[in-house]
Amino acid sequence: MQNMPKGCPSGVMVRLHEYQGKQVLSSVRIPVPAGKVASTPAEAKNIAAEINKPVAVKAQVWVTGRFSAGGIKFANTPEEAEKAAQELIGAEIKGLRVEKVLVEEKLDVAQEYYAGVIVDPGMKNRSPVIIFSSKGGTGVEEIAQKYPQNVAQMPVDVSRGVRGYDALDLVLRTGLTGRTLTSVAPIVTGLYNAFVRADARAAEINPLVITKDGKVYAADCRISVDDNSVFRHPEFGIKVARETTKPHTELEEMSWRIEEGDYRGNSYLAQMIDIPIKEEGVIGYHGIGGGGAILGVDALNRAGLKIATYTDTSGNPTASKCYRIAKLILSIPGIEGYMLGGFIYANQEQWHHAHGIVKALREMVADKPGFPTLLLICGNKEEEAIQIFKEGLSDLPIRMEVYGGERVYAADFLAQRMRAMIEEYRKERRA
Amino acid sequence: MSYSFDEQTIKINIDRSKCPECKTKACVKGCEVYNRGILVIKDGIPTLKEGIDAKREGTECLACEEECRLRGLNAIKIDAPIPGLTEWVAKVSKM
Repeated sequence: MQNMPKGCPSGVMVRLHEYQGKQVLSSVRIPVPAGKVASTPAEAKNIAAEINKPVAVKAQVWVTGRFSAGGIKFANTPEEAEKAAQELIGAEIKGLRVEKVLVEEKLDVAQEYYAGVIVDPGMKNRSPVIIFSSKGGTGVEEIAQKYPQNVAQMPVDVSRGVRGYDALDLVLRTGLTGRTLTSVAPIVTGLYNAFVRADARAAEINPLVITKDGKVYAADCRISVDDNSVFRHPEFGIKVARETTKPHTELEEMSWRIEEGDYRGNSYLAQMIDIPIKEEGVIGYHGIGGGGAILGVDALNRAGLKIATYTDTSGNPTASKCYRIAKLILSIPGIEGYMLGGFIYANQEQWHHAHGIVKALREMVADKPGFPTLLLICGNKEEEAIQIFKEGLSDLPIRMEVYGGERVYAADFLAQRMRAMIEEYRKERRA
Repeated sequence: MSYSFDEQTIKINIDRSKCPECKTKACVKGCEVYNRGILVIKDGIPTLKEGIDAKREGTECLACEEECRLRGLNAIKIDAPIPGLTEWVAKVSKM
């Protein structure tokens, strides 16, 4: 088995939909099947009529195994395409709602290949790596295991780029020769150009096909853009430059607008539950340090509580950033409490968190008598932060407990305290 | 007697009619501890220090508002808007 590069573990990527990826490929003259994206069945019908051939109607969702999950349907007529789009648009595939479908000409496939470019940050390469396989259609890792002789890879010197003969050499190493070799190799060069043009961290064509009439097409593709480069690509329409498995919610979009363009520390908010909240035991969770904060979530779950938000403010954010994130959390109707999960001895000055959170709590829960509020804050300026909490919130009628470094890893204790406060709060409200 | 200035994403509003009566000037002390001391007393009232570009140099610590509320005369209000939040809350509250 070959050692495949591990794709950019330290990088954050934003995925494009297939139809967007194909627009990028087209821009570097890689042939893609004729087609357009549709948001309604009527649009799908019109596109199929324009193509005037049998078509594939493909759900635009970020999942693997789309075909076996029912996300790709074939249609011989515009009416069939309309029906297929009707079935797909609004449906859920592997938990993701389909908003758009790509309607494109159905290909008569003779051979399938794989071509990909990823950023390999490993010591060996620290560069983009091109991978080509003369077998395609499934995951390249799987192909590399079963057919190592059919897979070749090549690191790229970014200052030099990829020359035509580099691509020929790479493809030749996988066993392809003759016309196939000369048809496929330019696609490899083009894919690298697409990777550069999109500021991508990964770009794949899988499968790259040769049809029975000898034409080469990128039949499917995945392109992930480096999140730091998203601002340079308004054409992609990416609202939130963060990797996700599902479209971002409005709450997440608002949190991104707080973070976007403000590099003073980090803030991150993931909505973990449908809003409005329709069950008991859900709290707003505000972590400090994305990894350590998981401790609190696990403990809360063990205590029978759920979180509406998984949030992180760290890297020495401004008090204003902490305030805005706390205010977003506290704005969620139906939460039964707020927990600051600072499960980390942070070296950031924690008094900025304290000032931000005090302001948010004063604005949002002053009219919620007994509202459960648990604040754990540890690290630099911890004592001062605790003092700011106690002094700043002492006149609010909320139920509040404040902890510091002595409880930094007492996740279960804190979760139980949160639960106890919520139970008391519920009793009071029902009384 | 309203005085305001902007930092990168927030606006600091000071009701200066209250400031002459303030004995603590806690806002300025807080600014020295938590920010870069961009707020100073001039003619008995808090003012942005001369030559300071608050949009670039302010650290948005929010401390002056809290210090003024706790130890001064509650004369400072800081606006830190979150575009779309009011509309979103109204929408999800109706669902």
